[in-house]
Parts: sequence; C-alpha cells; structure tokens
Amino acid sequence: MTLWKTTLAAGLLAATALAAPAIAGGTLRLDEVAVGELDPAKASDYADSILMFNVYDTLVLPVQGGPGHAPHLAESWESDGNAFTFTLRGDVNFQSGNPLTAEDVVFSVARMKALGAGLSYLLGVVESAEAVDSSTVRFNLSSSYAPFVASLVRLPIVDKKLVMENLGEGDGEMKDWGQAFLSANGAGTGAYRVVSHNPQEETVMEKNGDYFLDIAEAAPDTVRLRYGLEASTVRTLIATGEHDISSQWLPPEVMGALAKEGAQLFTESGTGAFYLKMNTTKPPLDDVNCRRALSAAFDYQTAIRMIAITEDISAGSPSTGAIPVGMFGANDSSMVQAQDLDKAREYLAACSHDSAGMDIEVSWIAEVPLEERFALLFQSNLADIGVKSHIRKLPWALFAEQVSKPENTPHISQLFVNAVTGDPDTLLYGMYHSSTPGTWQSPEYLNDAMVDEHLEAGRNAPTPEARQEAYSMLNARLMEIAPTIYSYDRQSVFAASDRVKAPALSDPAHAFGLDGMGFSFRLMEVADD
Amino acid sequence: MSAVLRLLSRRLGISLIVLVGVSMLIFGIARVIPGDPARIALGPNATEEQVANLRAALHLDDPVVVQYGHFVADLLQGDLGVSLYTNRPVTLDIAQFLPATLELVLFAGVLMVAIGLPLGMWSARYRGRWPDHLIRVVSLLGVSAPSFVWAVILMLLFAFFLPIFPIAGRITDSFEITRATGFLLIDTLLARNGAAFFDVLWHIFLPAFALAVSGIGQAARLTRANMVETYDRPYVEMAQAYGFSARRIAAKYAFKPSLIPSLTIIGLDFAAMLGNAFLVEAVFAWPGLSRYGVAVILRKDLNAIIGTVLIISATFLIVNLIVDLLIAFLNPRIRHSERGTS
Repeated sequence: MTLWKTTLAAGLLAATALAAPAIAGGTLRLDEVAVGELDPAKASDYADSILMFNVYDTLVLPVQGGPGHAPHLAESWESDGNAFTFTLRGDVNFQSGNPLTAEDVVFSVARMKALGAGLSYLLGVVESAEAVDSSTVRFNLSSSYAPFVASLVRLPIVDKKLVMENLGEGDGEMKDWGQAFLSANGAGTGAYRVVSHNPQEETVMEKNGDYFLDIAEAAPDTVRLRYGLEASTVRTLIATGEHDISSQWLPPEVMGALAKEGAQLFTESGTGAFYLKMNTTKPPLDDVNCRRALSAAFDYQTAIRMIAITEDISAGSPSTGAIPVGMFGANDSSMVQAQDLDKAREYLAACSHDSAGMDIEVSWIAEVPLEERFALLFQSNLADIGVKSHIRKLPWALFAEQVSKPENTPHISQLFVNAVTGDPDTLLYGMYHSSTPGTWQSPEYLNDAMVDEHLEAGRNAPTPEARQEAYSMLNARLMEIAPTIYSYDRQSVFAASDRVKAPALSDPAHAFGLDGMGFSFRLMEVADD
Repeated sequence: MSAVLRLLSRRLGISLIVLVGVSMLIFGIARVIPGDPARIALGPNATEEQVANLRAALHLDDPVVVQYGHFVADLLQGDLGVSLYTNRPVTLDIAQFLPATLELVLFAGVLMVAIGLPLGMWSARYRGRWPDHLIRVVSLLGVSAPSFVWAVILMLLFAFFLPIFPIAGRITDSFEITRATGFLLIDTLLARNGAAFFDVLWHIFLPAFALAVSGIGQAARLTRANMVETYDRPYVEMAQAYGFSARRIAAKYAFKPSLIPSLTIIGLDFAAMLGNAFLVEAVFAWPGLSRYGVAVILRKDLNAIIGTVLIISATFLIVNLIVDLLIAFLNPRIRHSERGTS
C-alpha cells in the first residue's frame, strides 16, 4: 500500500473513531442570537439578562408564581417616605472570596449611574445611596416611585474590591470603572462563575460551589451559552442530542418540527405583548373612531393561529386589553378580544375622514420577518372594511430614526415590547405618557390627560391595591381611545431536549414573570449523560 | 534589483494606495448606512441622554473629515477603536476571529487546488469520454449552487443522516489546547496532540469542503478548457508523434501552460471565499471574522466595520500579490516584460 493510501486510511479510521456525538457530563448547552454582554451595568437584552441573573445577584427577586418581590441578597427592607433601607444577609461572599457589604451596593449603584448604559435609567430616581453600616444600605429617592423595589431586580451587585483592583485605562479616580475587566470576567456573588467568554462563540460558566444558597445536585456543573447559531444548525444539534435549549428566536415551524420529534417546549410569559401602534397625530388616525374601526377590524383569532407552535403551545396568548394578563390592572383572561367587522364599519362611518380616500401605511421591522405576516393579515382585514393600505419594510435603525418625528412615523408600527422589570410602569409609562413621545416605544404620540393621570397614579400609589385600581382605570381608558391594537400577549417559547428540567420555564407556579430569569441555572436540572 | 523584486515593490506600493482608498471609501459608506450607531449599540431601552453621550464619545457629531482624522491618528498608533458589538477593542476581536477564518479559507483553498486541478486535468485527458462528461456535470453542479446551500446539504447528509462529521465548532470541547497562533491545526501540532489535530481536521473538513465546492468546479472547468486548447498545439502533437505516454503529455506538456489562467482565477476565488465564508461560518457555528463582519455591519458598528474591511482587503491584496508572483515564476514572458518596463 502506498504512503498516501496508508495516510488516508489512518485519517478515515480516526474520523470514524471520533464520529460518535460528543458527550457532555453535567453540561447544559443553550444558545442566544446576540452576543452576551458580561458587564452587568450594560446588560439590557435577553442574552445579557441570562448572564446577569447567573453570575450576579440582586437585593430582591420576583416571587415565583405570584406578585411582589422576595428578599435575596437583602434579608429585609423597610420604606419611610422616599427612603428605602435594606439589611443585607451576613453569609454572602463574592466569587472572589470577598464578603458582600453595603459598600458594594453603593458602588454598584454609582457605577451604573456613572456608565449610564443598559437599564441604568431605572435608577434615575435614586438621588443617593449610602452605607449606613457594613450590612445596611439606604436609598434616598428624589420622588415617590412605587415600582422602586421592582427596579432593583436590574441592579446586580458587583465586587467593589475586585473591580478597584482591576481598573483599566481612563480619566479620573475611577478610570474606566472596571469596564475592560468586567466585559471579560465576572465579579458577582452568583451561582455560576465565568470560565471563559468569547463574544463571537460562547460563554462558559461553571457552578459556584460556595454559593450562599443551596444548589441542586442535578443543576448543571457547566453551562455553555453559545451565540449566533443558525436556526438550521440548532435544529440539527437538538435532533442529534448535542444541544439542550434553543433560543426563543427559532421560527415557529422549526419549533413545531422539533416538538414533533420529541423536544419539550419551555415557555416564559407575562411581561409584554405584540402591538400594532397607531400614529394618533396622522390623519385619519387622529380621529378616535377611525382608530376604533381599525382595532375592531383586526383578526385576533387568526393572529394567535399564526404563532401557534403545537395545538397546546403558542408564542402568545389572546389579548384581553391594554395590559398583559398577570400584571396590575389586567383584565380577566376570559375577556378575550375578537374581530367585529360590523362594529368596525360603524366606527368607520362615524370617522370624520372619508374611508375612500384613506391609504394606511403598515410598517414592519425588517429584522423580524414574522411581522411581515401580520402586516399582510392586517392589510387583508383593512380590505374587508374597504380601507386601502400599503406595506412598508423598515430596518430597525431607520425605524428608530423615523419615529423621532410624528410626520415621519408610519400610520402603523408593529412592535414587541416587554416590561424590563416585570412592573407595568416600565411597560406603559414610556409608551403612553405625554412626556415620552418620539421613541421606538411610543410611535402613537399619545397626548391624553387622563392617561397621564392614571400612569402617574400607578407610579406613585402607596399600596398594591391602589396600583391595581390605577392600572385598571388606565386599561379602560386606553381601550376607549384605542391608540394601539393589542394583538396578543407575548409568550417566549424555547425548544429543549428531554434531559433538562426547568420548573421556572415549565410550571406557572415557579415562573418569575421577568424576562430571562427563568434561565436561573441553579434551579434547573440536567440528566446525566 | 531583480525583476521579481521590482515587481514585488511596485505591487506593494499599489497595494498601500489601494488600502488607503479602501479606508476612505468604507469610512464614507459606513456612515451612509441608515441608523444612528449609538442608538443601535445602546439598544431600544437607552435614553436620549445615553445616546447623546455615546455619540459625543465616538465623535459622531463632528464633520466626517474630522472623524476620519481621528481614525487615522488612532490607526497610526495601532488602535482601531472599540467595537460597539462586543465592547472590546477591534484589534482584539480581529486577532481572535481572523485565524479561524483564514484557517478555514486556506484549508478550502487547498481542497480547491488539490481536487479541482486534477479533476480538470483528468477531464481534459479523457475529453469526449464518460469521465469527462461526469466531471463536467459535477463541476457544473458545484459552480451553480452557492456555498451556504452546499453547507446545509453537506451538514444534513454527513452530520445528520450519516453522523460522520460534527455539526458545529472548531474542536471538541474536551480538548484544551493553548491557542498560541489561533490556527488550531498548527496549535494542536505545537501541543504535540495528535488526537486533537485529527479532531480539528474532522471539524474543518465539512465547512471547508462546502466553501470550496464552487471553486473546485470553477478550477476543474477552467483547467479542462485550457488544457483542451493546449492539446491542439503543434508541440503536443509532436510529443504524441514521438510516442510519449498520454499521462506524461497531460502532466508535463498540456497541464503546465494551462495553469496560468487557472491560477489567476483561483486567486480571485480564494478572495471570494473570504466573503462567502460568512454563510458557511454561520451554518457551522464557526467563530470567524466573516461572521463577525456581517454582524457588525448589521449593527452599524463603525470601528469594527472599518477594521474588518481593512483586514479582509489586506488579505485579498496579499493573496493577489502571491498569485502574481507565482504567475511570474511560471511564465517567463511576464518576468521578461517586467524587466523591459524598468
């Protein structure tokens, strides 16, 4: 046998020997479309949240399966007017071994505010944070703000001592505030520590054996969060048992195919919805009857069918009004909205603009192909009541620029919006308060005194009951003036192999009601390979 | 100065001018892409104040000429700025991602030459007979479908239905290899880890083949066409008349003169593979620069766009330079004409 034939045979033998799927012991493999931002002060999207909730901890956590918040790094808290005082647990150490103190909390607040990135605007109401003693920290707010405790789920506590030892280049005493260090390393108390972080490929994490809470034996020892995998690749990897949980961005058809092949479907819901937002400054949508006509003409049932993955699981649930089910002020889940073409024609007849001359511009965001289907559905619904329309595809960047002026904003803008803290204030205030028009969330350009009043009441109400009442009134008012078509309440769906158990993503009694927190790996279980 | 050195210095000078031109062009084009880079980078939840602060930090409110001045001043210090996509220095990103793409493209290039040229030669030697017809059909198939289609087909065939090759990644997770060069084929050899070396080969074969299929078809078709033409030359007829073997005539008298036009096209194909690598990298989750390049364009990450385009352009120019030198080496007429122009 010649040399090249021998080499080829050896190579083939080696390849055959290696051909069996790689076995991962206690390893959880999942993916996200975007690069995960490891610096917790810059965390804003889903991948960032997964990293943040596992590498870092917060003072409070949402109560699983119910409303309100429970102590986490904080042992307890009390409020006195605009001051909130938190007592920290005494048994918490950072992954570096440094003990958690009130100084770390103060530093974390100062760092977030100084960097001004991510969701730091949620702390805009914090006038000062001070360490009363080593285990007590006090926040002084500039005004009353009922959702303050809820916003603390977005304040990850970083290890001040470790960060100060690793300051990078920059001006002033704090130099770069540790940005270079924290973009590649963890400095939290979290249940998982960062082993490696390659923004193009994956972040590898391992279980933190010194975590202050118990972690289940079956929780994954290692987690590989991969970035930017193609849908076809994820589908093949899951089918061959080389991947455990997909991102929520797989096309519904692919999710459905995986479910048929035996994959389980995890869900996370209750924080947002899919909206068709109407520009209330642009004729004919400046007339409330015209907006009501469009709302009544929308085919809500078909919309739900379009996002169905299996007979039981869908990427959304029927909308009951302006506030997603599960939040303060939401209507009962039985009060489902439905298409009513007769009502739509009645409203249209009452509209001050002639329907024959209407040409509604329905936009969709180019990066979200699903929206094109909804644009086509709505175009067909409008044709049913004799209203002409045209569809326009807009890249996100162009859309964000156009909505800064009401005259450039399309008649209809399709958007997914989530409450970043799970509280309705972070969902609705930015959308509808008259002080916040011209952002991507508020292409309605709504200016309604009653809506403003209810939003402020919800923000300042002293008790949960008062907040419930304020948001119920807001819900009713929004349905009356119809600035938006509330298409469906959003539900994120993830395809997963059967070796994973994730109660926070499969059992409503364990759900957090906060995007990404269901991926707390310490609460998951992975079967041995 | 020898003719080859003169050719080299002239081409290097031209390459430098091209790179400066590319930097100016891409600097301008990147700013024409719709959307505010600061808004895109900070995400939908950022406040107007946060966006304004980042715009100021990136000098985006300055005139374009001033911005280009900042860019050149930083570039001369080896600083391409920070990527808004990864929040890391662009130089660090490129250093991390470029080897993966180069390794993939170089391996694909080797496959293209190692398979494409012999196929073309064989086809020409048996022109008009069944091996020729078979190779022409296969070549046509290779040329007519884009790389990403081949990537998906090959993945389905040889990773899913017949699980012979891995689906994603560069190396099995259990191998811990010090990434001294970033080229895993080299790093595993440096680590003297034979199992890891074969593992890397096993991982790279399918994506590289998917990337090379089109080039293989192109190289085979071109080599065949050139060789068929060469077979009609009088000196080949004379060789046949002398009774030389068909194999010797094909390899020595018909193939070598036919190689020059093929080499030019192979050089261009290699450069095209740098661009096509994006979709193949996406399908096989290959953490390379092409995938990074597309991601930063979609996010209007100005520093990273310019850095990536400059590096890819430089690679393109280097490959073309090497091809020109090879052609000059193979074709004495070019060497002589170069001497004549000096």
